Amino acid sequence: MWLNHRKLIIIMFSILIPLFLSGCWDSREIEKRANVLAIGVDIASEEDRKKEDEISHLSKEFPTPDEEMIKVTAQIAVPGEIPLGPQQPGGSAKPVLVVEVVGHSFQDAMLNLQQEVANELFLGHLRIIVFSEDIARSGTSRFNDFLRRNPEIRRTASLVVSKEPASKYMNITPELERIPSLYLAELVDNLTALGKFPPSFIGLFWTIYSSKGQDPYLPYLELKGKSAIQLNGLAYFHGDKMVGKTNPLEIGVFMSVRGIGRGGYGAFAEVPGKDESVLVRTVSRNTRTKVGIKNGKPHVSIKIQYESEIDEKESAAIQLSDSAILKKIEKATSKDAKRSIEKLIATTQKTKSDIFGFGEHFRAKLPQYWNRNVKTKEKWDGIYQNLTFDVKVDSHIHRVGMKSK
Amino acid sequence: MGDPKEITALQATTILISTIIGVGVLPLPLFAVRAGETSAPFVTLTGVFLAAIGLMILTYLGIRHPHKTIITYSQDIIGKWLGKIFSIVVIFFFLILSSLTAREFGAVVVTAVLRETPLEVTVIVMLLLAAISCRNNINVFAYIHNLYVPMILAPVLIVVAFSLKNANLLYLRPIFLGNDLWNMAGGMLTVSALFQGSFIITMIIPAMKTPKKAMKASLWGILISGGLYLLIVIATVAIFGPEEIKQIFWPTLELARTTAIPGNILQRLDIIFLAVWVLAVFTTLFSSYYFTIHSIKELFRLKDHKVLSYFILPFVFFLAMAPQNVLHMYEIIQLIGRAGLLITIIYPAFLLLIDFLRSWRRKKNVAKPS
Repeated sequence: MWLNHRKLIIIMFSILIPLFLSGCWDSREIEKRANVLAIGVDIASEEDRKKEDEISHLSKEFPTPDEEMIKVTAQIAVPGEIPLGPQQPGGSAKPVLVVEVVGHSFQDAMLNLQQEVANELFLGHLRIIVFSEDIARSGTSRFNDFLRRNPEIRRTASLVVSKEPASKYMNITPELERIPSLYLAELVDNLTALGKFPPSFIGLFWTIYSSKGQDPYLPYLELKGKSAIQLNGLAYFHGDKMVGKTNPLEIGVFMSVRGIGRGGYGAFAEVPGKDESVLVRTVSRNTRTKVGIKNGKPHVSIKIQYESEIDEKESAAIQLSDSAILKKIEKATSKDAKRSIEKLIATTQKTKSDIFGFGEHFRAKLPQYWNRNVKTKEKWDGIYQNLTFDVKVDSHIHRVGMKSK
Repeated sequence: MGDPKEITALQATTILISTIIGVGVLPLPLFAVRAGETSAPFVTLTGVFLAAIGLMILTYLGIRHPHKTIITYSQDIIGKWLGKIFSIVVIFFFLILSSLTAREFGAVVVTAVLRETPLEVTVIVMLLLAAISCRNNINVFAYIHNLYVPMILAPVLIVVAFSLKNANLLYLRPIFLGNDLWNMAGGMLTVSALFQGSFIITMIIPAMKTPKKAMKASLWGILISGGLYLLIVIATVAIFGPEEIKQIFWPTLELARTTAIPGNILQRLDIIFLAVWVLAVFTTLFSSYYFTIHSIKELFRLKDHKVLSYFILPFVFFLAMAPQNVLHMYEIIQLIGRAGLLITIIYPAFLLLIDFLRSWRRKKNVAKPS
């Protein structure tokens, strides 16, 4: 009897358990998903605004957010058209679908987007988010909330600012890769590997934005021609609002102050005594930032060591044959670097954006000073504006390539 | 009673490690940072230290009474009725602890991974798993823990190692930020509450081959699990910084999501991490569940604990469903955790004190007539 009873229970259980183990609530076939690969965000224009339907709010009954309306352009992968592995020649169908929607907030736009797409949107493969400059200047924090809350979003996705409307980036047709968004994402990822840009992804952006003693920065892209995209500088922020951009070469300057070891930029340096110049490329840098209080005021001393290489000389008039001339060039590059660093810091001081993270140094190394005088981000902004600093640059040229003169 | 005495010191250590490492690893950096900002590692360290003291007291008590658990020797020390009342409190506490473990697990799974799956289902699957496993004797219990420990430790270490690439050491300084000492003390309590699973040692000692080695096992257990917790806090704070952590529910999970294995092999490690974390939660739940039914068995002097396994399941399930939402759940977890320290640290300390007094008096009584 007992044995039978036991058997019965076991049988009942084995019937019941599979019901719970299948996990079919969340199973979605991959081709039933609308994989969003890239998103571009713009400020909605007047005519876009009219397109809005009442999807997440009714005009009178639900509160309408009073923020400016945005236009979201999403690139969705077409199932079966994404080539796996090596590219097959002659794929004619477009691999992605580009949809435009408007909304009051990010999630609002996403809901509107879902209303237009048959399959369930999936953001797990979102590789890149493009903010147009207007959006970046009007503030990014209102998008961060949705992006942080949503578990599908990767923290390693890229975030960039574009000069042109972001929707244009969703429609580019790069020649090097079939899927536009993947090309864009690769481009941004490789910038870091090539030493063209400091590490930058959405998680890092948030981290820097939340901490009290620094302001975030993002790559600033510009379209060149039909399908070429250029890294046109570094967009720097004050809080969540973009306040300016640098030249591309100043990214290198920024990286040296920030202490990013990998060099990638080259600059012309005038050879002293001659009118010609050589192209000196940074290989690596070593930065030491010291903070202290000088005469009761915060002061930063930056010491940078450059390791450089000469890549090219302008004319035969320059003789690169003895070490003395290298010493001279080293001096000249140091002077140039120092000047451009000072200029860049001064520019960011005007807009109160501490992209170098000096505030973090103060917070970490002088906690008593920080607790007494700073404590909040707003106060640090004021202090940063009047921060004094000195820069010491030391460059070394060890190699000149395969040519002896 | 019926249990064979076969557990070795190594097994006891692994039981402790896998019991302690559980759901708590996910919100741990948040708790620590809320309490101490950049001194989160320091808060964690003090929390571990406090937990270690509690565990040592308990182990010492266990070694003094090598054939009994806290349920039975408390009756010897403070009297039959008082001992029984306190034992009921202990059992209730672990019942709640089991249910909260299951609930926290369910909450994470529903928010982060299986968003369509009902919360009840994830919770009940976990509880069933624990209930079924609990029908084994204590040796099998030890084997199961032994098996899972490397699987729990290795991936966490891998995630931490790979993530350090993005670390910013400035976020860890100043190491001691004495802004709000009360808050830090509260955080210390919350952190050491995450180690409450170590109470299980009281059940292990009577089943050990040589109970004297229990102290060594306890120390190693808390050293390894505490070290791992500290490592996690250091890594998350160094990568996200205190301000960002305050905005994230489960910083450790976020750490796994940010971390990639170089060379585009895996672009995010959270799925691997979660798979492992399910094991960690299971072992924790398994321990507290086993402790609950084992203690009920001892309290009522039953022969076997197997029947109880399913009997308490509905209670645990309903308790697990009690919190209204995630925020409510964490409020309860922090409250219960801190209150539980009374049970897991103060109560054994009190017992040890009385025990000392009694044996001292006994000695005096023996000495007098002679």
